[in-house]
Amino acid sequence: MATDLVPEVAQPAADSPRPAAPPKGRRRTRTVARDLLRYRWLYLLLLPGLVYFALFKYLPMYGLTIAFKDYVPFLGYSGSEWVGLKHFQELFTGPDFGRLMFNTLLLALLTIVFVFPAPIVVALLLNELRINVLKRSVQSLVYIPHFLSWTIVASLTYLLFSVDFGVIANWIHGVVGGQKTDYVAQADWFRPLIVLQLLWKQTGWGTIIYLAALAGVDSQLYEAARVDGAGRWRQFWHITLPAIRPTIVVMAILTSGNLMDSGFEQIWLMTTSLNRDVADVFDTFVYYIGITQGSFSYATAVGLFKGVVGVVLIFGSNFLAKRLDQRGLF
Amino acid sequence: MTIFSRRRIAVAAALSTALLAASACSGGADTEGGQTAGNEISVMAHLFGTAPDPNGEMQQAVEKLIGKKLKITWVPNAEYGDKTNVVLASDNIPDVMVVNEKSPGFVKAAEAGAFWDLTGKLDKYPNLKPANEQTAKNAQTNGKTYGIYRVRPLLRSGIVIRKDWLAKLGLKEPQTVEELYAVAKAFTEKDPDGNGKKDTYGLIIPKWPGNYASASPYDVIETWFGAPNGWGERDGKLVPGFDTPEFLEANRWLRKWVTEGLINPDFATLDTANWNDPFVQGKGGMIIDVNVRATQLLDMFKEKSPKDFDKVTLVGNLKRADGQKFSYPFTGYHSVMAISKQRIRTEEQLDDLLKTLDKLQSKEGSILLTNGIEGRNFKVEGEYAVPINQDDPKVKAIQNDVDKAFIQLGTRASVGLGAYKLKPNDEASRAMREKFDVLMNEDLKTAVFNPALSIIAPTSVAKGQTLDTIVPDARIKYLSGTITEEQLKAQIKRWYDGGGTDIVKEVNDLAAKAGG
Repeated sequence: MATDLVPEVAQPAADSPRPAAPPKGRRRTRTVARDLLRYRWLYLLLLPGLVYFALFKYLPMYGLTIAFKDYVPFLGYSGSEWVGLKHFQELFTGPDFGRLMFNTLLLALLTIVFVFPAPIVVALLLNELRINVLKRSVQSLVYIPHFLSWTIVASLTYLLFSVDFGVIANWIHGVVGGQKTDYVAQADWFRPLIVLQLLWKQTGWGTIIYLAALAGVDSQLYEAARVDGAGRWRQFWHITLPAIRPTIVVMAILTSGNLMDSGFEQIWLMTTSLNRDVADVFDTFVYYIGITQGSFSYATAVGLFKGVVGVVLIFGSNFLAKRLDQRGLF
Repeated sequence: MTIFSRRRIAVAAALSTALLAASACSGGADTEGGQTAGNEISVMAHLFGTAPDPNGEMQQAVEKLIGKKLKITWVPNAEYGDKTNVVLASDNIPDVMVVNEKSPGFVKAAEAGAFWDLTGKLDKYPNLKPANEQTAKNAQTNGKTYGIYRVRPLLRSGIVIRKDWLAKLGLKEPQTVEELYAVAKAFTEKDPDGNGKKDTYGLIIPKWPGNYASASPYDVIETWFGAPNGWGERDGKLVPGFDTPEFLEANRWLRKWVTEGLINPDFATLDTANWNDPFVQGKGGMIIDVNVRATQLLDMFKEKSPKDFDKVTLVGNLKRADGQKFSYPFTGYHSVMAISKQRIRTEEQLDDLLKTLDKLQSKEGSILLTNGIEGRNFKVEGEYAVPINQDDPKVKAIQNDVDKAFIQLGTRASVGLGAYKLKPNDEASRAMREKFDVLMNEDLKTAVFNPALSIIAPTSVAKGQTLDTIVPDARIKYLSGTITEEQLKAQIKRWYDGGGTDIVKEVNDLAAKAGG
């Protein structure tokens, strides 16, 4: 999870003028201006963050206009011709759209089913471990893959699973026999490998937030439950699980916004001529047409579409969470 | 082991931001101007190692020769295409840009007027004037010259074969495709390395990064069978090479190789960076690629065992079964030097820049870019340049700057036009180098040129992204046995339906307009 930290600002000098006392005798309606004046130092603290977002997150959105133009860099924004929704039309009616949508959504679904619950399960299991040293070391061990780049993960996958020298591939071949399988090249194995990679790389890291939530559970609750005769299963069911439910919901909402993000690097590194049909997702498609083919407008249109779907999903799941009587994200 | 270029990933990963940020910061034509091409020339070119020091001896020597400062952006070869498009999207296009003039991004920018149309303008400059008409034509974009082409040998295709394996099995160098098959079969089944195990294969093919007609081993083999090189004339019409019976025949033949295990089983995933490894490790016995791979491999064997390294031989293009021969030529150049209109605004500035480039490509300049600084890193011995003082780290830096970077600025230098040949290290290398020319001249007689090379169909610029991978992907799938020949044909039909029909029509129209 990326966090945007607000840069620190220098403390105001001690001799700076004190806030003027609110003028007396006027109506007590609080105006925005008065609030601003009163809390000006707090607002000042906010300023760098706002500037950051305006500069690096909102200003570049102007570039999105090229999705509606036939953008030629030399002519610039104003010089390029407006073409309306041409690029979107091309995308939606093009031969790739169905396949891209299917691949992206299927990968998203697999991620929800297999990858999203994994950290929860691991965190809960770790939480039940009584030996602290063991708990700590297991925890550290499962973090490590997170720090490896996708390049290394993909290389490892090739090393282990390719047909010529893959250690695991040869081992499976030895056990199962029959024809050798080229796991890294075959389209059928693409999605299982992607899920396996995600599980291996991200599970440990994902446990952090759940372990933090679990650490916050009041131990008195457990003691009370034990006094009432609850076994470990009962304690787990009635205390531990409800305690992390809000965390799970928040994580689920956050994840839903990224459903269309299939993880460019990972997919791109694992794509070959043989599995391209199942591997092409919006992320790699944008790279392919934008950077390697130089169709900036079309690529931006695809990216914009992806972004809009992401926004819809995040609002949708937030709404759903509230409906299901949970606290939503916002 | 598969190694990926991390830098390339970095470029790629920055993509969404790059697209937006690059364009957001760019005012395009609105904000440009003000600057004139003065005493500094900015250049973007390929890099094959570590970037030279801008204050290094080599750059200073070049600057002294042309009398101008240079600001060079060296871009690693592996990510050059990506970087080109990112630069084209920014408002910071260098004065001189080495670029693939056929890439859609460049074509769009050039047609919008971002680069100077140099058609007919180069004849005034003795060292920039095209030396070869065919190559000059190949380097055009729909009849316009957008850059000065960088010469490469016109024919470089060949087969590198393990000489000692041939000798051990009592085989001759193959002359026909059938003999090639026999060699591959023997290399696979007759234990050429003599370890008692059946653990070798005949031919090594990597995962090819380019599209159809990009000098892949498949393209070369198809040409041997008589398929066109990219585009060819059939019944008075230009058709794409993959829509011919010869294409299918060649691939049918090659599929048999895959089924019989004559090709490395990971040919769909082996990284090109590791292409030489199975050859040097004695896993495979042949590579179909450019001839210089033969000297590369020779050097690698020499590194392994300095005394017994003469294990490589090179064979030219092959005859097909009926004795007819078709050879796979190259374009005769690699990328062009295009001149940006962004900073070079007037004809006078252009003339000034071209004069400077002309000076850079003179005999003196070619020697500098290809060989280095005479008396510093090399001396002249007859027709050869002989490396000297290579133990001195400073000289080594010069040598590295020349070989890995500055040679890319030469438009004529890389083939030795005007520069000295490098003296071969040993007898085997010398014999191999001499073979290059013999084979080239022999194979040029049967070279199959691509008649549509200078033609860019508008539809392929607009829709290339969805069409370009269809056929090469289907070819690999067919070869690996994932799809049948019927399905391969269906994929070719998919290419036509997805816009290929328009491309064929446009190519034919444009070719007719260009006068055949």
